[in-house]
Amino acid sequence: MTDKAIPPCQAACPIYTDVSGYVSAIAIGDIERAIRIIRQINPFPSVCGRICTRPCETACRRSQIDEPISIAALKRFAADQTRGLKLIKRPEHYYDERVAVIGSGPAGLTVAHDLALLGYRVTVFEEQNVLGGMLTQGIPDYRLPKDVVKEEVDFILSLEVEVKTGLSLGRDLSIEGLLKDYQAVFLAVGSQRSLLPKCNGVELSGVITAIEFLKQISRGHRPNLGEHVVIIGGGHTAVDAARTCLRLGSSEVTIIYRRTIDEMPAGRAEVDDAEKEGVNIRYLTAPVDFLGNGNVQKVRCIEMRLGELDESGRRRPVPVENSEFEIKADTVILAIGYIPEADALKDSGLILSKNGTIIVKDNTGTTNVKGVFAGGDVVSGPSSVIEAIAAGKRAADAIHRYLRNLPDKEVEEHLPLRSLDDNVVKLINKSNRQNMPTVPVEKRLDNFNEVEVGYNRNEALKEAQRCLLCGSGALVADNCAACLNCVRICPYGVPVPGREIAEIDISQCQVCGICASECPASAINLKLETREEGRAALQKVIDKARQEAPEVLIIGYYCRYKLPTSLLDDSGIYWLGKLCTGRLDIFQLIYPFELGADEVVVHMCKNEECHFRDGSRWLLTHIERAKKILDEIGMGADRLNIISEEDVSDFKKRFEVLGINPIRKREKVRG
Amino acid sequence: MIVAEIKPFGEIKDMLKDYNKVLIVGCGTCVTVCLSGGERQVELLASALRMARKIEGNEITVGERTILRQCDPEFIDQIKDEAAQYDAILSMACGAGVQGIAERFGSITVLPAMNTRFIGVSDGQGTWVEVCAACGDCILYKTGGICPVARCAKSLINGPCGGSQGGLCEVSKDNPCVWQQIYARLVKLNLLHFLKEISPPKTRPVHPRRLVREDLRLKKEQTKGV
Ligand SMILES: Cc1cc2nc3c(=O)[nH]c(=O)nc-3n(C[C@H](O)[C@H](O)[C@H](O)COP(=O)(O)OP(=O)(O)OC[C@H]3O[C@@H](n4cnc5c(N)ncnc54)[C@H](O)[C@@H]3O)c2cc1C
Ligand code: SF4
Ligand code: SF4
Ligand code: SF4
Repeated sequence: MTDKAIPPCQAACPIYTDVSGYVSAIAIGDIERAIRIIRQINPFPSVCGRICTRPCETACRRSQIDEPISIAALKRFAADQTRGLKLIKRPEHYYDERVAVIGSGPAGLTVAHDLALLGYRVTVFEEQNVLGGMLTQGIPDYRLPKDVVKEEVDFILSLEVEVKTGLSLGRDLSIEGLLKDYQAVFLAVGSQRSLLPKCNGVELSGVITAIEFLKQISRGHRPNLGEHVVIIGGGHTAVDAARTCLRLGSSEVTIIYRRTIDEMPAGRAEVDDAEKEGVNIRYLTAPVDFLGNGNVQKVRCIEMRLGELDESGRRRPVPVENSEFEIKADTVILAIGYIPEADALKDSGLILSKNGTIIVKDNTGTTNVKGVFAGGDVVSGPSSVIEAIAAGKRAADAIHRYLRNLPDKEVEEHLPLRSLDDNVVKLINKSNRQNMPTVPVEKRLDNFNEVEVGYNRNEALKEAQRCLLCGSGALVADNCAACLNCVRICPYGVPVPGREIAEIDISQCQVCGICASECPASAINLKLETREEGRAALQKVIDKARQEAPEVLIIGYYCRYKLPTSLLDDSGIYWLGKLCTGRLDIFQLIYPFELGADEVVVHMCKNEECHFRDGSRWLLTHIERAKKILDEIGMGADRLNIISEEDVSDFKKRFEVLGINPIRKREKVRG
Repeated sequence: MIVAEIKPFGEIKDMLKDYNKVLIVGCGTCVTVCLSGGERQVELLASALRMARKIEGNEITVGERTILRQCDPEFIDQIKDEAAQYDAILSMACGAGVQGIAERFGSITVLPAMNTRFIGVSDGQGTWVEVCAACGDCILYKTGGICPVARCAKSLINGPCGGSQGGLCEVSKDNPCVWQQIYARLVKLNLLHFLKEISPPKTRPVHPRRLVREDLRLKKEQTKGV
């Protein structure tokens, strides 16, 4: 395990978002810091927060204990809470070179965003009259409202990005022509041409493609599809088409998919939602013919079973003999696959695959034509928004290097922290995911309003606090005296004696902070909050308090995991939250008095409720030692007190004024 | 390792009453390992002292430093310049460290913050026990690796006193009778015959002891005639 290993969520994210960074910021209620971390790398937080395919969640180590963190939902929370907040500054100067981007989907707009911030003038050419690609033309409003996309697109445009809509590559524009005015071109025209099944009757009226159908819907059309709709396919598009049909009033909506739910490219949650809303899904079923007379009336289907693995590593569906049957269909929607539009790239000189995707040299999207780069679905075939954003980011960097004559970017390794050992897993408390609140099913089907409501603050903080903060744990410095105290006290058994100093495997550390609070050499720092950062946070609170000069200056430490912050309002106490108060070292308990505090209270939960293990017991030990010191120096041990949750709500009764801190008294007399 | 503990705070405060600028120097070796005199304790003691003196209206400036070992002059020299700015040094090392600094910086008062207790080993988290008296003539080979000089209340070296009961020492029931332990260990090791050997009485070492290892030192040039 190298020091460079990163949390698995981050390693799994195509743009390597610092997930634990923003999740831990939300865990302590610092939403602005969270969105800054996200925004720094992702121009589409609100979009990704809603519809990302979430490879991070599949990788999340919390699933070794119970369920993964709702990483995307937390991103959405951070983005929704900070709408309108201006976080990113425009560049100070601009280069002379101009860049043309063709296609305004997530890939194209990401390139525009990143290059604009680097100081390039970018023009985006878009065939349609709306920007956003599949975000606005494909994905329906009930999953991704248009205003949410618009806000993020508008921000990108505000970076002096020029837009030309209604212009199509192949029809109105050519790469050759563009290269005369622009020093680099980025192609991001997506993969929007529907594949058709080899069935008789595809030409019947009433047989339509999902993309065309959804595009129509996105333009505000509300066609009447009849009662019975059959959708062929198993991806996002199929499921979205089906749920859209329900909203248009069709009562019998059936998806037929030739494999099983396990192979289905659409997300499991989406499929669940579709079924809840009333979509029927017939797995292991394929269409044979579309039957009808002018208009489609029925689909003849055949049952399938899974056979040998095919080249994609999935088991190949094979027809079951004599299993044909028919389903009624007033409309059939085809959603079996997409390839790029051939016309756009026909005479471009670009090397294309047999599917029509652009062949690039490496993952930066460099093509065989000098100055021309490509990325997103037009290169990968239909994929996901986050992959399109990632391709955009790599290409923007490559274009910048190309234009500035800089060397290629070095290949970075993104090694994930290894999984948790079983003996650590069994020591971690279980806690289930916060459910995503949704609009009840009966209120969904007569409109296109967003179904998922998003977390409220309380839910978001709770969810964020489930994060194991992988990789934010203990680091041992060289001045370790090898006393082995950490080895003996870590509740998770992580530190071990090394050859010269203690070794702490950061992949297993649970970030409780107990070792750091007890290390006699102060040789342990947590990445989550270093000693200096902890001290600085205290100083800040005290500075604020001294400025406000309350009659009685009480500093309160509370556990962010256990104490609802609502209890903290209005108490007159200057609060400082910690992710478990067991991490407070004795200095943090006595130093406030040196700075003039009259009383220090520490919120403590019952040991069996501790988020970690042993946190409250160590707190007791620290309080006892701190009290002894306070007694010895004449400050008085009764100025340091433990309070429980009940005490906080009832605090006013509890605090008799102990008299002003003798240090402050002296200062006052003098001052 | 040498095990030490911090003196009662009142005593330290008293020692420092005539000084207004004090450098607390921690030691990064034994006393850090026994959790009593390392960087963390320096920080705590410094804050405690500042507060105590402020409360008395007699403020004190406290510097904080921890060096790797106070028993080696080269390490001590690392704080030479800094030390010169203080009226006194409060050493959080064992007695050796206190004297090490005092020896090196002859013109600054050096005061001990610790009581040096014994040469010991860890006996579980937060516990240390004395195991060696530094007698200068080790007999552990015949006592099953258990030192009666350090661990018998009476330092008997030829068997128990006769007062032990139920395996416990008659002087303090908190301690096991070490001779009982030695016996059990020798049985286990099949070395009981050692008990028949009488160990001659130990001569008390004459202080101060000094160890000069000529074999480790660069040879002096032979002077003529020697
Ligand atoms: C219904 C549906 C649901 C989906 N759901 C999800 C989901 O939940 N999560 C997820 O991650 N992904 C989802 N996807 C996939 C995701 O939308 C795409 O992978 C992503 O949008 C690809 O981005 P892109 O920028 O490469 O292309 P697109 O988003 O396809 O953008 C291409 C743009 O280029 C324009 N264009 C095309 N040809 C030309 C031309 N010749 N000249 C000029 N402009 C042109 C298009 O009009 C479009 O605006 C879904 C896709 C669909 C269709
Ligand atoms: S627990 Fe947190 S840091 Fe660890 S993988 Fe999951 S989201 Fe990432
Ligand atoms: S507690 Fe500190 S000094 Fe002791 S072994 Fe651990 S890191 Fe080293
Ligand atoms: S922070 Fe907690 S879990 Fe991590 S090594 Fe230290 S004591 Fe163990």
